[in-house]
Amino acid sequence: MDDTYILAIESSCDETSVAIIKNGCEEIHTVVLSQMDIHATFGGVVPEVASRHHIENITMVLEQALMEANLTMDDITAIAITYGPGLIGSLLVGVQAAKTLAYIYDKPLVPVHHIAGHIYANNLVEPLEFPLIALVVSGGHTDLIYMKEDYSFERIGGTLDDAVGEAYDKAARVMNLPYPGGPRVDKLAATGEDTYPLPLPLDDDSYNFSFSGLKSAVINISHNEAQRGNEIRVADLATSFQNRVVEILTKKTMHALKSYHVKNLIVAGGVAANKGLRTHLEEVCKENGIHLCVPPIKYCTDNAAMIGAAGYFAYKKGRRGDLTLSAKATDKLH
Amino acid sequence: MKSLFIDTSSSRIILALLEDEKVVKEIDEVNDHSLSSRIFPLIDKLFHDTNCNVDDIKRIYVVNGPGSFTGIRVGVTIAKTYAWAKKLEIIPISELELLATTPYETDYIVSYIDARREAVYAGIYDDHGAVLEDTYITIDELKTRYPDASVSAVSYDHCDVGLDQLEPKIDIERIIKRHKDDLPMNPHEVNPRYLKRTEAEENLEK
Repeated sequence: MDDTYILAIESSCDETSVAIIKNGCEEIHTVVLSQMDIHATFGGVVPEVASRHHIENITMVLEQALMEANLTMDDITAIAITYGPGLIGSLLVGVQAAKTLAYIYDKPLVPVHHIAGHIYANNLVEPLEFPLIALVVSGGHTDLIYMKEDYSFERIGGTLDDAVGEAYDKAARVMNLPYPGGPRVDKLAATGEDTYPLPLPLDDDSYNFSFSGLKSAVINISHNEAQRGNEIRVADLATSFQNRVVEILTKKTMHALKSYHVKNLIVAGGVAANKGLRTHLEEVCKENGIHLCVPPIKYCTDNAAMIGAAGYFAYKKGRRGDLTLSAKATDKLH
Repeated sequence: MKSLFIDTSSSRIILALLEDEKVVKEIDEVNDHSLSSRIFPLIDKLFHDTNCNVDDIKRIYVVNGPGSFTGIRVGVTIAKTYAWAKKLEIIPISELELLATTPYETDYIVSYIDARREAVYAGIYDDHGAVLEDTYITIDELKTRYPDASVSAVSYDHCDVGLDQLEPKIDIERIIKRHKDDLPMNPHEVNPRYLKRTEAEENLEK
């Protein structure tokens, strides 16, 4: 059987990335151009600024990826593109570039849902084993997904309000930590003690999450302490916050694994880089005989390699985008 | 030599296939929120109707602004990706200069695009070129820049700039003749000309 080379483009937020992936599992080469430093000056991602940088960078990133992979467009089987969800103006640049390449080289165009990409990042580590539960945790998502087989996604639960990464960033702001706050809270949490009485959010039998209440509790504690003239013990607050987040994520994930009689768990998305979460899940999975797969840090943040991995399976399933393909700010994972 | 002309930055989608300086076929349609999904079927139709192949194109002229940020990005992304991939010559064109190819009988013509909040993107042109380079400017300020001669305006928009206004009737061949000897640019360096920084960047300086 001939090898399949997917050229993948990802531009859904503030990273312009192009990757070439062989047979859905082998990363030939990936280029990620991050705008994080630019957006840090604004305290968060500014959509119009992000779009402007994507268009300035897109052809350079394409050129660099192909050149460093020592490949040409003739070697490429199909083009995979993140069509959504994400920032519409950012997605648009990647989608138009992908359609241009598909059109002028007459190659199949494969639209990939951003979250399918995060899940398939794990396939670059080891082949996914089914059935599985995927816990997707990022700045925009907190989802529990049941997968019976390749490229079949059933969302069994998710956040009812803030995404977990969003909650981290907001909590970080209360603690006066600079953007991006998530990794800094994680780092601080390792040094503090769980002394603040924060609630365990939405502790019920559903597979859903809610983080806005927890975020408010952090804000309230901060206000109350300030009013009393007490200094906030930031490290302790970080630990207390992180412990609650990790506990509820783990609890509901284990509940899903048991109810669905699934022995494989994968964790995906930017918050999968969180050390506290990784460590706790490793322990609990070991105790319960669950096979856990967490991608290395470089695959947790947005990148085109994961889109190429998912794109391969979408391609094999016959998923195709035509010339009218357009970016979608929101879309159900399918 | 065949060239492709792309303008998606205004309220019209204008595409043309040229043989040297002659327009072989032109497509002119209303630009709306569906630009992103309509643009490739239109390019495909242009190629199909002219019996042209993607590899026949040797040069792309792309309007890179000012205008709708999203509109500009659609046209420029396609143009620079195509030009980079197929090693084509690429020449950017100003939307305001293009508007100013509309026939006029005054000494000067002011082309403008509504930028909201009592401001416009505008340029002042005569038959030789710009006498006021394309700029982001308040309408009040623009009015002080009119030359002391007969002046008319041209725009798809309807701002009160205090001049008789012409409906745009752009002349692609005329703009191409003016730019055919421009030095082609590196596709990586062809980018939108927004003429205005983002609000976030402006606020940062306050």
